[in-house]
Amino acid sequence: MLKIIIPTIMLMPLTWLSKKNMIWINTTTYSLLISLISLSLLNQPNNNSLNFSLMFFSDPLSAPLLVLTTWLLPLMLMASQHHLSKEPLIRKKLYITMLAMLQTFLIMTFTATELISFYILFEATLVPTLIIITRWGNQTERLNAGLYFLFYTLAGSLPLLVALISIQNLTGSLNFLLIQYWNQALPDSWSNIFLWLACMMAFMVKMPLYGLHLWLPKAHVEAPIAGSMVLAAILLKLGGYGMLRITMMLNPQTNFMAYPFLMLSLWGMIMTSSICLRQTDLKSLIAYSSVSHMALVIVAVLIQTPWSYMGATALMIAHGLTSSMLFCLANSNYERTHSRTMILARGLQTLLPLMAAWWLLASLTNLALPPSINLIGELFVVMSSFSWSNITIILMGANITITALYSLYMLITTQRGKYTHHINSIKPSFTRENALMALHMTPLLLLSLNPKIILGFTY
Amino acid sequence: MNPLILTIILMTVFLGTMIVMASSHWLMIWIGFEMNLLAIIPILMKKYSPRAMEASTKYFLTQATASMLLMMAIIINLMHSGQWTITKVFNPTASIIMTLALAMKLGLTPFHFWVPEVTQGISLTSGLILLTWQKLAPMSILYQISPSINLNILLTMAVLSILVGGWGGLNQTQLRKIMAYSSIAHMGWMTAILVYNPTLTMLNMLIYIMMTLTMFMLFIHSSSTTTLSLSHTWNKAPLITTLILITLLSMGGLPPLSGFMPKWMIIQELTKNSSIILPTLMAIMALLNLYFYTRLTYSTSLTMFPSTNNMKMKWQFETKQITLLPPLIIASSLLLPLTPMLSILD
Repeated sequence: MLKIIIPTIMLMPLTWLSKKNMIWINTTTYSLLISLISLSLLNQPNNNSLNFSLMFFSDPLSAPLLVLTTWLLPLMLMASQHHLSKEPLIRKKLYITMLAMLQTFLIMTFTATELISFYILFEATLVPTLIIITRWGNQTERLNAGLYFLFYTLAGSLPLLVALISIQNLTGSLNFLLIQYWNQALPDSWSNIFLWLACMMAFMVKMPLYGLHLWLPKAHVEAPIAGSMVLAAILLKLGGYGMLRITMMLNPQTNFMAYPFLMLSLWGMIMTSSICLRQTDLKSLIAYSSVSHMALVIVAVLIQTPWSYMGATALMIAHGLTSSMLFCLANSNYERTHSRTMILARGLQTLLPLMAAWWLLASLTNLALPPSINLIGELFVVMSSFSWSNITIILMGANITITALYSLYMLITTQRGKYTHHINSIKPSFTRENALMALHMTPLLLLSLNPKIILGFTY
Repeated sequence: MNPLILTIILMTVFLGTMIVMASSHWLMIWIGFEMNLLAIIPILMKKYSPRAMEASTKYFLTQATASMLLMMAIIINLMHSGQWTITKVFNPTASIIMTLALAMKLGLTPFHFWVPEVTQGISLTSGLILLTWQKLAPMSILYQISPSINLNILLTMAVLSILVGGWGGLNQTQLRKIMAYSSIAHMGWMTAILVYNPTLTMLNMLIYIMMTLTMFMLFIHSSSTTTLSLSHTWNKAPLITTLILITLLSMGGLPPLSGFMPKWMIIQELTKNSSIILPTLMAIMALLNLYFYTRLTYSTSLTMFPSTNNMKMKWQFETKQITLLPPLIIASSLLLPLTPMLSILD
């Protein structure tokens, strides 16, 4: 694992020592190389995990997330080039350093064995993200957004720290490799109910669960493009990953403790999808769509069946790539019109046909068109929730319909129809942007050929 | 001040604390406290103004009262044990009175009222000495009598201090008052763990002193005592704003910075002793502290503060020298991986 972590840490000296015209080239190239190294982790033995050391391991759940994380860093760097082009050199280097630092923490989080180490790194990802949102965001509301983001996450995760330490007192070790074998049923008592709550609330806030999702639209909208990308693609998945790991220890309370959260998620996915239909702000629409997809993941994780775990993992990867791509597309609009309002930049298909193709592909994967992995994820979740309770099929079906509705709404509003008269002087699509979209889309399409690698450890 | 006089006075302050920390006779400890108190009054009054006079008077009155209470507790202890050696306190009344006296010296709730007002009235350097060095002597006595302290009183004071330190700092824009409330909150954390594991109190004290030292050094460098004037540092020394950001987040207890280490260790120790609600409550209340630190970073490092062109050029009559800033910065932000080394504090 050091072969991935040390190069990522060394990306920071790389940026500071590069010449002015080489920073983007150097960092993008090397981060692509690092993502190539991480691909080797996808070769997972069947019923075991790859244990690299006492501190780092990777199993079929964390390997795809790790590959996604390392894949996303070059994409984030490519996406940030335009809005940073006018900044002084030191600020560009600071930005890239923040991204590299965030990347390091994320890689270490996904591969941590010891749960307290996971916790520290989970919290550590907050600091660079806060700095990216607050320092390089564009509107006044970013201050409020940063505060909401920081405090929602911290208020949820401090009880997690206490819970982890008390579990460590009970069992002697929080090393994940040991816990797999130690697993005993948690005795039924009020304090264990609070333990369950304390463990799960941090991840519920991070996912986010419907009632605690207030930070997400703020943070996603106010963040610069790299911030939005990493937030949507990876940081939300930290919550899902943590939940998948911790629920292993929390049986059998999960059987009855999960009900309120299941209800909130099932209702929340419909509510947030419906709100998407009424959004005027493009980034806000994509942010609420993230909440909706993540609600599906929460449902899947709380049901705890093998198929639902497969669906959750696949959905996390698929949503990561799709959401990140949608944010890149929205950003390409923003860079041209400096406005996030959807109707201000419509009819783009006439002006930017290639970008319209990417918009089409992104919207189609967002609405879970077969045979994309989004569909595989959603389908597995729908099927397992149907077996959990037959009635959920109504809500799931409604959700899929509304998702299709708002994805197509977004597509049609921005792409089709007559273009507005004030955007006929926008710059054509850069090769960089097209490459960005292609690099998002290609893994998504290729994975539909072999989804086995993203189906997680219950395959 | 005449350098010779200043040296003598500082030496007396130093000697006072050393006498407190090294003595085994209760009377010598009391003498040490008094020496410390008397010698620090001129330091508090370095810039001679009515406000400084008010601050030093308040400080003198509270500390003298605390010393008298301490003397009473010592006498009661003498009455019940017949000897002056500092081991444990032999009588619960004496222990309670001593705890209250030392809490008054430290600035724990409900005896915290003097801390913001005194810190505000004195110069930045004096405030630095007040908030760091002056805490060493009472804390060392608390450390030595820790087996016989009444847990209820101490924990109540600790939790209330964290609450007051968090809530009180929310409405402040004066940097010295912000540091004062931060000191109250950190003292609360330190005394909460005192009965369970005094080593962690020492660890927390060490890290707190390093972080507060760093913060004050950064403030002294930009000669800023209000949030507004701190927000102009981006113009003169942009690197200082980054350092302020890092140190403030470390004071707030964010991982992976070293400010998280004492909080983590304290939560761990409290949980091992089967109190679960208490550390959760303490951790949530520390978020209040984090809020006003984050607000400070917003105006300093993370945004461009709107200011007229006049305000961008602050008068700086002499460049202030910051001693030892690089090691302090590293100590206040990067020490978390060294957590296993805290066994050296035993």
